[in-house]
Amino acid sequence: MKRVLVADDATFMRTSLRMMLERNGFEVVGEAENGLVAVSKYKEINPDIVTMDITMPVCDGIKAVKMIKEYDPNAKIIMISSMGQECFVKEAILSGAKGFIVKPFKEEYVIDTLSKL
Amino acid sequence: MTDNMEREPMLELFIFETYQLIDQLEQALLDFEKGNKLEDSINEIFRIMHTIKGSAAMMLYDNISTLAHSMEDLFFYLREEKPENVEYSKIIDIVFEGIDFIKAETAKVENGLEPDGSSEELKEKARKYLEQLKESNPSDNNSKYERKKDNQEDSDQKYYIRSDKNGQVLTTNKYEAVIFFEDGCEMENIRAFSIIHDLESIAEIVSYTPQDVLENNESSLVIRNEGFKVVFKTDLGIDEVKKRLSQTILLKDLQVYLTDDVLEGFEINDSEKNNLNTDGDNSVVSSKEKKIELDDNADQKLVDNSKKTEDGKNLEENAKDNGKEQSKNAGKQSVISVNIAKLDRLMDLMGELVIAEAMVTQNPDLKGLELNNFNKAARQLNKITSELQDIVMSIRMVPLAMTFQKMNRIVRDMSKKLDKLVELEIIGEDTEVDKNIIERISDPLIHLIRNSIDHGIEKDDERVANGKPPTGKLVLEAKNAGGDVWIIVKDDGRGLNKEKILERARANGLLFKPESELTDREIYSFIFLPGFSTKESVTEFSGRGVGMDIVMKNIEMIGGSVHVDSTPGEGTTFSIRFPLTLAIIDGMIIAVGNNKYTIPTVAILESFRIKNEAIIHDEMGNEMIMVRGECYPVVRLYKRFGVETEVTDLTEGIMIMIEGENKRMCIFADALLGQQQVVVKALPKYIKKVNGIAGCTLLGDGDISLILNVDEIL
Repeated sequence: MKRVLVADDATFMRTSLRMMLERNGFEVVGEAENGLVAVSKYKEINPDIVTMDITMPVCDGIKAVKMIKEYDPNAKIIMISSMGQECFVKEAILSGAKGFIVKPFKEEYVIDTLSKL
Repeated sequence: MTDNMEREPMLELFIFETYQLIDQLEQALLDFEKGNKLEDSINEIFRIMHTIKGSAAMMLYDNISTLAHSMEDLFFYLREEKPENVEYSKIIDIVFEGIDFIKAETAKVENGLEPDGSSEELKEKARKYLEQLKESNPSDNNSKYERKKDNQEDSDQKYYIRSDKNGQVLTTNKYEAVIFFEDGCEMENIRAFSIIHDLESIAEIVSYTPQDVLENNESSLVIRNEGFKVVFKTDLGIDEVKKRLSQTILLKDLQVYLTDDVLEGFEINDSEKNNLNTDGDNSVVSSKEKKIELDDNADQKLVDNSKKTEDGKNLEENAKDNGKEQSKNAGKQSVISVNIAKLDRLMDLMGELVIAEAMVTQNPDLKGLELNNFNKAARQLNKITSELQDIVMSIRMVPLAMTFQKMNRIVRDMSKKLDKLVELEIIGEDTEVDKNIIERISDPLIHLIRNSIDHGIEKDDERVANGKPPTGKLVLEAKNAGGDVWIIVKDDGRGLNKEKILERARANGLLFKPESELTDREIYSFIFLPGFSTKESVTEFSGRGVGMDIVMKNIEMIGGSVHVDSTPGEGTTFSIRFPLTLAIIDGMIIAVGNNKYTIPTVAILESFRIKNEAIIHDEMGNEMIMVRGECYPVVRLYKRFGVETEVTDLTEGIMIMIEGENKRMCIFADALLGQQQVVVKALPKYIKKVNGIAGCTLLGDGDISLILNVDEIL
C-alpha cells in the first residue's frame, strides 16, 4: 500500500484528499498544514508520495518541493494547483515535482495521477 | 467531489472551515486597514481567498469560488506589483462586502439551502478596481507580476533548451508522438511541458506543436482539440519510448511513430509535411533566439536564484532557531476538532458518573458498617472522578478571543457609518468560558457595543468641546472572579441621562417604588425593561426599542446578570456576570415536605431562623420579615409549588435570603440538607415549563431534586 503525505493549509482539502485516497487503497500517513511542516514530516515518516498544495502559509509548496528534493532526490511529489497557477506548476516540475492535479479535482484523476508514480 | 454522496460528510467541514477562514480574514483585513505589516496582511488575505476559492470550487459553489477568485486576483496584484496610489479604504470596503457575501452564502449552506446569491456585482467591483489600479500603475515588462501572469519566467526556458544545445544524446531514431490528455484534466499546456521536461533526459527534442505551451495558456485549447505533437530523436527503441510516454499522467490517447514510418504509413500530404518541417525549424530558431535573450538576463536570474535558495535556507534555520515558532506549529497540529454533540454527551455521562459515585459511596446499605478499606477505595474513586470532571469541563472551555475579535469589525463599521472616532481596547480575551455560553454571549455583546457607539460616544467635535480627546474609547474586558466570568463593556461617552430615563419610566408606568427611593442603579436598570428606549430617532444600528431587554433575556438564559453604572459626561459601564459553565453548579439542597429542592449557592446571601416578632404584614396582607431594619418579602415554597408539609410556622422552618437582579427576598423551607455540586439537567420535554424551576438534578441517594430559578421566583 502506498503511503501518502498530504500537505495543504485547508483542513477541508486535506480531508477531501484523505477520503479519496483511503477509498482507493492508499494510506495517508501524515498531514501537513504548511510547507515547513511538510518537509519535517517527510524526513520523519519517509512517505512514498507527497501531495503538495502550492499556496500555503509560512513556506509555500514550491519551496517545500525544493527542500524535500534536496533531502531526497527520489521524492515523488504531486502538486495540488488551481487554474491560473501555471507558472508555479512549471516551477515545481522544474524543481522535481512528478505531476500535478488541478482543483477542483475529480477523484478518478487524482487516483490516476498518484497510481502512475 | 461531484457525487452528492461524497458531499455530505465534507459539507460540515466546509462550513466550519469557511467560517474560521472568514474570521481570520476579518482580522487580517483589520490589520491591513491599520497598516501594520502591510505585506503580511496582503499575503494572508491572498492566501485565505485562495483557500476559500479552492474549497468552494470543490463543493461546486461557483458564486463563492469565483468571487474569492476575483479577490485573490486583486491581492495577487497588490502583492506582486506593490502599486502606488492605492485607495486602501476602497479595497477594504470591497473585501468586507465580499466577506459578508461569503458569510451569508455559507449560512445558507449551513441551513440546508443552496447558496444561490449572485456575486456578479461584487466581482465586477473587484475587477474594475483592479483595472483602475493597473491603469494608474502602468507596469514595465520586468515586473514580477507580469512575468508570472504571462508565464514568461525566463528560468523555465533555460532548462529545456539546454539539451538542445549540449546535444550529448546520440540520435539515431527520430519519433513523432501525438498525445491526448483526459477531458477536463486542465492545464494541458503544462502537462505538455512536463512531457518535454521528462523526454529531455532521454532524447533530443526537435520540435513540438503547439509551440507556445509555455508562453500561452490558451494553447491548452489546441492541445485539447488536436493533441500535443512532439518530435524527438533518441537511441531508445519504439517500445521503450511508448512505455515511457504511456506513463504520462492522465493520458487518454497516445500514438508514437518512427518519423520515417510516418512519411509512408501515416497518410500525410506534402504541404503538411512541409509545414511540419518549417514548424520544426521555426521552433529551433525561436529557441535559439530565446536563449540569447536569456543570456542578457542571466545575471539578474542568478541573483534571483541565489536569493531563492537563501530564502529556503533561512526558513529552515529560522524554524530551528525559533523554538517558539515550532512549538506553535506543533501546538496547531495536536488540535483536533470534535463534534460538539459528542462533548455534550460526554458531559452528560460525566454528570451520571458523579451521581453514580454518590450512590455507591453514600449507599444506605453501608450505614453503620466498619468499612476502612471501602472508604479508602471510595476516596480514590472520588479523587479520580473529580479530576475527570475538571478535564471534561476544561475540554468544553473556549477562549473568548474569537468572539471579542469579531467586535473589531462591528466597531469599525459602526464608527464609519456614524462618522465617529472610536478605538476599541480588548482586555483578557484569553479568558475561557463554556462553549455553550460563548454561543449565547455574542449577540448581547454586539448589541451593547452598538449601543455604546450609537448613544454613548459623541462625535469628535462634541468631545473636543467637552474637553475629551476626539477619539472615543471603548473597552471590552473579560476576567474571572470565583466561579463567575465578568465581561465589561465600558465607554467614555456622554453617560446615561437619568432624567430622560425616569421620564420614560413614568410614562410607561414602570416605576415600582417612589421616585425618591430609587437608587441610581435601579434607575439605569429601567433601560433593560421591554419596550424601553430613550432615543427618539431610530438609527440603523440600535434604538428600536427592542434590544436591551433582549440583551437581558439572553444573559439571563445563561444564568447571568447585567449591571449598569454611569457617570454623566464620563461614560457608561455595562458589567455582565455569568457562570463559567452551565452544566455543574454548587447548590444548597433544602427540604420542603417530602421534596428536595436545590438553590444555586451563588444566589444565597444567608440562611437563618427567625423569631415571631420579626414577622410583619403589609397593608395587602403580604408576609414580610424584618432583618436588621430592612423588610423582605417571604415566599413559602410549599405554597408556591403546592406541596404538603408539616412545617408551616415561619419560626419552625428556615429562612433563606436570596438575591437576584437588585432584589432580595426570603424563601421559607423546612430545613437545609446540605451543600453539594449538582449536575444541571433540563426538565424532560413532557413536563411543561414551570415558572420558578430552572431544571433538575439527581442526588446521591437517587432522589430527584428540582433546581430553583431564583430570578423567576423574585
